[in-house]
Amino acid sequence: MPPLEINMKHVILAVAAAVALAAAGCSNPSRSRDIANPNVSALTLAQQVCSNCHGVTGVSTSPIFPHLAAQTPAYIESQLREFRSHDRSDPAGFEYMWGLSRGFTDAQIAGLADYYSHQAPARTAPLSNAGWIAAGEKIFKEGVADKNVPPCMACHGAAGQGNEAFPRLAGQHMDYVVKQLVVFQRSDERPKGAIMKTVAHELSPDDIRNAAAYVQSLAGDH
Amino acid sequence: MHHQWLKIASVRWVAPAIALLLTSVWPGAADALPLFARQTGQNCVACHTGGQFPELTPYGRMFKLTGYTIGERTTPLSAMVLASSSRVANTSKSDDPASDFQKNGEALVATASVFLGGKVTDNIGAFAQVTYDPYASQGADGSFHGHSAADNIDLRFADRFINPDHDLIVGISVNNNPSVSDPWNTAAAWMQYVPVPSPTSSAFIDGAAPYPGFAAGGNIAGLTTYAFWNRMIYAELGAYMSSRGALSFMHAGLAPGDLTKLRGLNPYWRLAWNREWGPHALMVGTSGMSARIYDDPLDTSDTATIHHTRDLMFDTQYQYLLDPHTVTAQLVYQRSHHSYPGFLANQPAVFVDAFGNPMPNTNSADATQLLRAKLTYTYQAKYGGSVGFFNLTGTTNTANQTSGNSPDTLTVTSDPSAAAPSARVFGNLTGNPATRGYTLEVFWTPVQYLRIGAQFTAYSKFNGAASNYDGFGRNARDNNSLFLYAWAAY
Repeated sequence: MPPLEINMKHVILAVAAAVALAAAGCSNPSRSRDIANPNVSALTLAQQVCSNCHGVTGVSTSPIFPHLAAQTPAYIESQLREFRSHDRSDPAGFEYMWGLSRGFTDAQIAGLADYYSHQAPARTAPLSNAGWIAAGEKIFKEGVADKNVPPCMACHGAAGQGNEAFPRLAGQHMDYVVKQLVVFQRSDERPKGAIMKTVAHELSPDDIRNAAAYVQSLAGDH
Repeated sequence: MHHQWLKIASVRWVAPAIALLLTSVWPGAADALPLFARQTGQNCVACHTGGQFPELTPYGRMFKLTGYTIGERTTPLSAMVLASSSRVANTSKSDDPASDFQKNGEALVATASVFLGGKVTDNIGAFAQVTYDPYASQGADGSFHGHSAADNIDLRFADRFINPDHDLIVGISVNNNPSVSDPWNTAAAWMQYVPVPSPTSSAFIDGAAPYPGFAAGGNIAGLTTYAFWNRMIYAELGAYMSSRGALSFMHAGLAPGDLTKLRGLNPYWRLAWNREWGPHALMVGTSGMSARIYDDPLDTSDTATIHHTRDLMFDTQYQYLLDPHTVTAQLVYQRSHHSYPGFLANQPAVFVDAFGNPMPNTNSADATQLLRAKLTYTYQAKYGGSVGFFNLTGTTNTANQTSGNSPDTLTVTSDPSAAAPSARVFGNLTGNPATRGYTLEVFWTPVQYLRIGAQFTAYSKFNGAASNYDGFGRNARDNNSLFLYAWAAY
C-alpha cells in the first residue's frame, strides 16, 4: 500500500499554528461569534450571530424566522431557555436554535431579551388578502364562539402587543404564525405553550390562515 | 502519536470506517453531525438549501463569509463517501469496450473525502478537503490504484462591523482554487454537485459534461480579499500563483506533472449584487480571471511556452426557501479566450482531408462560450429533483482533432501502426468542442447525512457533432448515461 501522499503534516501544522494563535489570546470579544464564551455580550451575539436570520434590530427578512423586535422580554427569555433545555422541540426550533442556544448563560439570555424588547417593531407587513384579514380580525377580537375559541386579544392584547409570557403577535410573519399554530394544535412540542393547544384545538386551517393574516397586518407602532 | 494521527487520517480508512459508523450509530445519528453542524449545533438545512450539498442558504453564506467562526470549536474532522454506478447507453461502437467503458454498470465506492477545519479563533476558520479516488490510475495488469490529493482548501480571516445602519464583512482567504471562496453556488468551484468517479464509464455523466471553470484550475495558491456590504454588494479581488514553498500543501498528493504552473501573479475578481426579500434571495454577479500558464509544468524555464487565458463569467442564482419547499434557479454564462504559445500556434495538422490535402494549420487562439442552467426543487428537504441544461460552443481548431484521415491510408483508422491513428469513443473528428445536452435528476434524502440519487444525462451534440463525432460512427446520444449514487457524510 503506497503511503498517503498528501502531506497531512503540513495541513496539521497550519491548523496547529492557528490554534496556537488562538491560545495566545487572539480572541475578540467585542466582535466575536463564539456561542460558548460567557464573556461575549448579548449585544455582540445579537449583532454578530442572531442578526444573520432575525435582522440586526430583530426585524427579520425571511418568514422562516420570527421578528423579535418589541417582543416581550419574558417571552424571549422563556423561549431561549426552552431551546437551551430542549423543552421546545418544534422543527424550526431544534433545527436552528438548540445548537445556538446551548452555551448561552442566563445573563446572555436576559441581555438578548432586553435588547430585542427595546427595538422598534417591524413597520410594514407584506400585502395580504383583505378577506382573510377581515375574517381574522373577527377571530382575534371575538373568538369563535361555537368552537370554544376565545378571542386572541384576551391574552395577547387589544393591539396584539403581547403581555409578559403572552407573546407579541402584531406584525409577526403570517407564515411563522400559521406554522406555530399548527405545532400547538397537532403536537406537544411546545409544552410551555400547552394552553394554546386547547385554544387552537378547534381552529380550521382557514381560521388559522385568517388569524395569522390579521396579526401580520398589525405591523407598526403599537 | 504523530504517526498514529496520520494513520487515522489516512483516507484509505474512510470508506469502511464510515460504513461502520453509519450502520452502528444510525438510530442515534441525530446527535452525530458533520463538522460545521457540530460547531453550530444546527441542522444541515440551516446552511444547505433543502439539505442539498454544497448549495448554501442565505444564512450559510453568512456563516462562510464570517470565516466559519460562528459557533464553538469542536472536533475539526468530517468525512464523506460516494458510492455510485454509471451506465452508458451504447458500448458497442468501440474497439475495446472493457477499456473505453471501465466498470460500466458496476457498483463502486467512487470517492471519499475527509474535511478538516472549522472555527479556529474568533476571526479565523478553515475548510480543507482531501479526496481519495480508488480508481486514480491503472497498472499494466489492469488493476486500479488509489490516490489521495488535496481538494478544495479555504483558510480565512474575517471580521464584521455591524450596527443598525451598516453591516460590513471583510475578510481574507488563502485558497487553492479560484472562486472556492465564493458563497454562491453558481461560482465555478461550486456549481459541480457530485464528485465524478474516474472510470471511463463515468466520462459522460453530468459531472463530466461541460461546467464553468477557470482555465488555471485548482491546486494553485491564491490570496483574495473580500467585502460584503449591507448584504447587498459583494466584491472580491485576489491573485493566484503556483503553489510552492510553504503553500505546497495546496497541491498535496498531486504528481509534479499534474500541477498547474503559473507565471507570476494572476488576477481574479468577483462582483455580485444580492437581495433578500421575504423567502426569496437573488444574486446577479460577474467574475473573471486572467492567467499565464506554462505548457509543461515540469519546465518553466522559457516564457515562450506560456498559454494566456482569459475567463469572464456572468452568473445569477435565485432561491425560494420556505418549508416545506425550496426552489433554486441557476444560470451561468462563461466566455473564455485561450492564446497558445508560439510553438503550438499555426502548426501543421496531424490529419488530412479525404483526398490527402492538408487540413488548416492549428489556431493561435481559441474562444469558447458555455451556458449552464439548472432548476432544482426539494420538498421537506427529503425529496427533490432537478433539470439542467448545458451548451458549449467554440472555435474549430485542428489541434482539437483526435480523429481524422491518416495521411498514409486516407481513412479514419484506429490501427496503431497508421501514421495518424484516430481515437474511438473519445475522439473528435471536427476539431470543434461543441457539446450540448440536458440532465434530469431525482434524489431522496432519508436522513440528513445520506442522499440517494438517480441522474440521467442526454447529449444532442458531443465533440462538435450530433452524429459520427469520432469518425467511427459514434453518435452524441450513444453517450447518454444513467448515474446512480449514494452519498453519505459524517
